[in-house]
Amino acid sequence: MTLGLLSQYVFNSLMLGMIYAMVAVGFTLFFGVLDIIKFSHGDVLMVGAFTGLATYLGLEALGVDSALVQLLVMTLVATLSMALLGALIAKYLVLPLRLAPPLNTLLLTLMLGTVLREAVRLFYPQGSNPKPFPRLLPADSISFGSFTLRADSVILLLAGLAAIVAVHLLINRTKLGLAIRAVAQDAETARIMGINFEFIVLLTFAIGSGMAALGGLMNGLYYNEINFGIGLLLGVIGFSAAVVGGLGNIYGAILGGFLFSALQSVGAVTLPALFPGTSTAYKDVFAFAVVIIFMVWRPTGLIAEKKSERV
Amino acid sequence: MAMLLSVENVYAGYDKADVLQDVSLTVAAGSITCILGSNGSGKSTLIRAILGLTPPRRGRVMFDGADLTGMPTHRIVAAGIACIPEGRKVFPKLSVVENLRLGAYQQSDAAKIADRLQQVFEIFPRLAERAAQLAGTMSGGEQAMLSIGRGMMAEPRLLLIDETSLGLSPLLVKENFNVIRRINQLGITVLLVEQNVHQTLAIAQHGYVLSQGRVVASGTARELAENAEVRAAYFG
Repeated sequence: MTLGLLSQYVFNSLMLGMIYAMVAVGFTLFFGVLDIIKFSHGDVLMVGAFTGLATYLGLEALGVDSALVQLLVMTLVATLSMALLGALIAKYLVLPLRLAPPLNTLLLTLMLGTVLREAVRLFYPQGSNPKPFPRLLPADSISFGSFTLRADSVILLLAGLAAIVAVHLLINRTKLGLAIRAVAQDAETARIMGINFEFIVLLTFAIGSGMAALGGLMNGLYYNEINFGIGLLLGVIGFSAAVVGGLGNIYGAILGGFLFSALQSVGAVTLPALFPGTSTAYKDVFAFAVVIIFMVWRPTGLIAEKKSERV
Repeated sequence: MAMLLSVENVYAGYDKADVLQDVSLTVAAGSITCILGSNGSGKSTLIRAILGLTPPRRGRVMFDGADLTGMPTHRIVAAGIACIPEGRKVFPKLSVVENLRLGAYQQSDAAKIADRLQQVFEIFPRLAERAAQLAGTMSGGEQAMLSIGRGMMAEPRLLLIDETSLGLSPLLVKENFNVIRRINQLGITVLLVEQNVHQTLAIAQHGYVLSQGRVVASGTARELAENAEVRAAYFG
């Protein structure tokens, strides 16, 4: 394999890993504060990407044609509206089910995901077709011999890194983050400390859903195409990454995201080499198979949660 | 003396059953008032009812003239009530300082929080030594200190103390009661829930005895110490 091809694989893997990590952080945050799995998370990402696309088309129609302005406005609109959607889901669908078995929340959010998916397919103009996503990042690239560095990939990676660092700082360095960690460890004692439990839950859902929207935009900007179904696979992958990392642990989720994308890349490279005639499309099968084996081998994840080790 | 807290004809419980039945009591401002009772007598449910964790089904909880009944817990805490919960309930994966800061969650003035930290560290020098340690890795006695310190961080007008001496060695229990007296001397009204009758009545001015969710006796600490019902509730 040439160095150029290898660098492409590594970059692609990092990019996907970043998107997976951003989805997985949401899963792990929601589980941390409420002990629930929100299955509609991937579809919130998809709605975020479509919101970004619709915002872009709106700006074009208004004659705003600066790529930077378009990018900033669509990021802001998509992130804030998904944060709001996440908080609304928490308030009206998840919190009322607190006393029901957690499986009910899983089922409810599974159905909600289908509703979001079908709503986009049916109500977005020609929603069942893939939609071209605008190329708003500079297309320049620098070559070092056969190694090519694309500016848009670098920008996306840095943006993802900035988002993850921002969440890290929020959780570990602010008073609200301290409250989130306290709620995750012991919700009732957190309430006795004077923490507004419901507000912290809504905030956590807003943060996780905003992260998903960013992940959706990154996905669109990277592949220059989105469709109504992207959330399903990204949701399952994000969930797997969070479980592999140890559900409830943020750093485990991030690690799990990059691990999953690395597995996909390894699958894409080695499968055709080992079994001539196999398509690289088997990379997902390979990655999920490894995750399944891993889950059987280490049921509590990479960074084992000792019940209280949350967020 | 003015009443800081009054619980009026409160019924509270879980699911369909009322644990507390028609409980009324008052806590005078500046006092140490105690609630005595054996396991399952409803002491912890009373604390939960006051804090709004198990909201009263009937009756009222009045604090300094304001009706707290039905308010969410964080607003009751904001009104000036703090609690040292049963079983200490420190946040195990947070550091000692983070635990203490959570005690002052309602306070946004950084200077005041720093003052209170200093005050807690003076009473419990051990906590200052272990400021960065994770609370879950400390001994039971140290966790008890942390839980008490965390309750003081709120600088509440009323501090609810739920069986802090449970599971401590006799020496630490004695120390514990000294600390409660000291907290009270700082001007904080204390409602103390305990099973440790003798030491509790030694520091309290007034008390109530709960049995099967009802108040079966009340009076000054001296009266209670000589009361037959109290003996019956504990030794009967």
